Amino acid sequence: MGLGDLLPGGGTQKSEGGLGMFGAGSPTFLTTKIDEVINWGRRNSLWPMPFGTACCAIEMMAAAASNFDLARFGMERMSFSPRQADVLICAGRVPYKLAPVLRRIWDQMPQPKWCVSMGACASSGGVFDVYSMVQGIDTIVPVDVYVPGCPPRPEGLIYGLMMIQEKIRQESLGRHFEHRAEDPALVAAPRADEEEIVGLTGPFGNSTHQEKLADGRIVRSPDPNDDVPV
Amino acid sequence: MGGLDAVERGPLPSDASATSDSGSAAGESDHPSVAALRAKFGDAIQGDTVHAGDQTVVWIDPARSLEILTWLKDDPGQKYDMMSDVTGVDYGGGRPVEVVYQMFSTTHKRALRIRCKLPLDALEIDSVVGLWVGANWLEREVYDLFGVTFKGHPDLRRILMPQDYAEGHPLRKDFPLRGRFSRAEQTRRALAQDVERFYGPEELVEGGAPQQVAARSEPAEGEG
Amino acid sequence: MAERTIELNVSRNPEMGVDGLPKASPLAPIDIAEPDLGTEEMLINIGPQHPATHGVLRLICELDGETVVDVTPDIGFLHSSFEKLGEYRTWNQIVTLTDRMDYLAPLIYNCAYVMSVEKLMGIEVTERCKVVRVIIMEMDRIFGHLLWLGTTAIDVGAFTPFLYAFQQREKIYKLHESLTGARITTSATRVGGMMADLPEGWIDQLNDFLDHFPNTLGEIDRLLTGNQIHIGRTQGVGVIGADEAINYGLTGANLRAAGVDYDVRKDQPYYDYETYDFEVPIGEHGDCYDRYLCRMEEMRQSVRILRQAIDRLPGGPINVQDPNISLPSKTDCMSDMESMIHHFKLITDGIPAPEGDCYMAIEGSKGELGMYVVAEEGGTKPVRWRIRPPSFVNLSAIPKLARGHLVSDLIMINASLDIVLGEIDR
Repeated sequence: MGLGDLLPGGGTQKSEGGLGMFGAGSPTFLTTKIDEVINWGRRNSLWPMPFGTACCAIEMMAAAASNFDLARFGMERMSFSPRQADVLICAGRVPYKLAPVLRRIWDQMPQPKWCVSMGACASSGGVFDVYSMVQGIDTIVPVDVYVPGCPPRPEGLIYGLMMIQEKIRQESLGRHFEHRAEDPALVAAPRADEEEIVGLTGPFGNSTHQEKLADGRIVRSPDPNDDVPV
Repeated sequence: MGGLDAVERGPLPSDASATSDSGSAAGESDHPSVAALRAKFGDAIQGDTVHAGDQTVVWIDPARSLEILTWLKDDPGQKYDMMSDVTGVDYGGGRPVEVVYQMFSTTHKRALRIRCKLPLDALEIDSVVGLWVGANWLEREVYDLFGVTFKGHPDLRRILMPQDYAEGHPLRKDFPLRGRFSRAEQTRRALAQDVERFYGPEELVEGGAPQQVAARSEPAEGEG
Repeated sequence: MAERTIELNVSRNPEMGVDGLPKASPLAPIDIAEPDLGTEEMLINIGPQHPATHGVLRLICELDGETVVDVTPDIGFLHSSFEKLGEYRTWNQIVTLTDRMDYLAPLIYNCAYVMSVEKLMGIEVTERCKVVRVIIMEMDRIFGHLLWLGTTAIDVGAFTPFLYAFQQREKIYKLHESLTGARITTSATRVGGMMADLPEGWIDQLNDFLDHFPNTLGEIDRLLTGNQIHIGRTQGVGVIGADEAINYGLTGANLRAAGVDYDVRKDQPYYDYETYDFEVPIGEHGDCYDRYLCRMEEMRQSVRILRQAIDRLPGGPINVQDPNISLPSKTDCMSDMESMIHHFKLITDGIPAPEGDCYMAIEGSKGELGMYVVAEEGGTKPVRWRIRPPSFVNLSAIPKLARGHLVSDLIMINASLDIVLGEIDR
């Protein structure tokens, strides 16, 4: 067995976009695209930064523990320091008080970096459509993969991370700056502009926003945007 | 049981014995502390009732709350040495905000609930941190979420919301569920906050600046 | 009837270890006269994103060298406004919020909430429901303690107990799943009963867990209880006396480790806990090691309660037979006009409550868990729903416990208090 067997598109057969190897049975050198080999390395040694806050963090721990064993996918090392991490797993609710912390951790992570938003609360605020909660962390940091669920099962998280791996596989070094551009002026500014945030977080017609009056009439509670003090 | 009458009649307690003394049908309390409180403090005891079957609630005059609670803690016949909970209740509609003390006596193994009605224009009451240290954070939380000032509290600052939270006191009924500002404004303010601004070295000095921080963090629109 | 309490008896002879063997403490303080270096006090910030704070807790430590002079906890980083949200939800809708508060022992929260509402409304649940709730609460006490055990062991440098504990937790996850369909966010209870009766074969599954769990617990016990490193890190660390512990409002194992015999299951019994044969472990030193021993023993006692509860599990309906409280079965809804109307009324209006307030305290996995509900006459939503979170009050004692210890001890003290930020910040 040569090295090529271990590589994507392995063996001596040269495959489209894969790795090829000359001289069957004598693995002296191989040819490939630089994108392929770099992405292969990146996606199989992801170091997650677990930003766990609530229930999802427990499922994230379960994913790392014996039964599900995240290490099988090259995520052996949970990096609790953002400086040595590749993937931010935001697991759980993020209140506004925590928002600058999340943002700072994202800013501290070196490029290239990816972000998984785990669970309903991190992705959209979930049931917590209230005064203290960020309505989706995509208003603060760019998100690559959303994992739905409340909380998602460990399999869900693992699948989400495998989608990150798939995303990495399709990246190209040549378009690095296009993919990874960050404006230093935007540090500590909302990622989305005002209109987008209001659009993302607008109330939807669940019972929370409806009030039943004493005379039996049902009214919609006033839009919070009307309540901005002048 | 069945029939459409039940829809109009409302829920019936399954246990008939619970009917007589539960809920709104409040009976006279036979809690030993109530009689003792009435004998000792007279007019300062504004009322008492039994809720939820066997839970005694006593309303007291907030002006004399510290005196009464001190007695409840220290009197050998009462000995309420554990302050389980301090919280607030806002009924809305201009009705008084109530501060609720839930106490337990590990000596006599009994519980008592004390409530104080605070009118909306005078939301202040004496702190009980001097009696029960455990009330420290609980009172800070009531201050944070209801805007009740606890006189004599050593460190009265917001505890759950950010120190400079400008939208008011969230658990008051006039506070909208989604906050007073728009989501965009809330996001902008959240990201603009410097997490290291509070709890600097000078603010950790005991008895010093925390009071000033509390004063600074008062909402701009002024709570009444 | 067994004795009410058991005193934890572990040798504290400095010359002898737990197993009676002579012990050489590897962490004995070295007595060297250090020159006064004239160091300044330093401010160190731990958290809110730090693996050792067990959540998004921030601790601001004032240090003199490595000694903690003072520590100021900063909380609220997970404030999700459950209490405000509860005022907009009907009584049964709130159940789904409760298990997101303490995600380490969700069923205890489910039960505590509905017990409080039932007490307010004067509803007496069926005998079967009582026993089922005792079973699921004790199961989740083990569930919560296991997570505490695993993460605390990591904090003292032992990784194996974490894997052992999670292996057992996975079995309880499966039990949750077959009972409710969810692994953590169970929402298993309803006012007046349960979401559903126990599924077929569930008790066998639980029995299977109970057969194997004590062995694993014994393995973890052998890894930690006599472990010199563990003893060195925990004995004499974070000591609090009995009177002080009461004054601070500590509850649960933290209070019992200080030698106070207070367990809500014994002192304000609910669901016939007084008829179960179990004991409450009481420590005597009030340090991290006693807190550890208390929780380990509590898990064994929970197994005892579970076995008794399984034996006495009666038949009969699980929900209150009152169409104004319990939903009719779906089959009835589709075939019977009356049932459909009851279903419609319950879903659109909810259950009206009498005026009053109710504080229901139960023994949660972290301590005294109080649920305080206030209702107005005929209200289908609470005027105020308040949770008395045990870890909130327990955590407020951390400055007292940590002063004078090393930073590494602060981590151990924080872990030994068994906090969960979801209920602290709510």
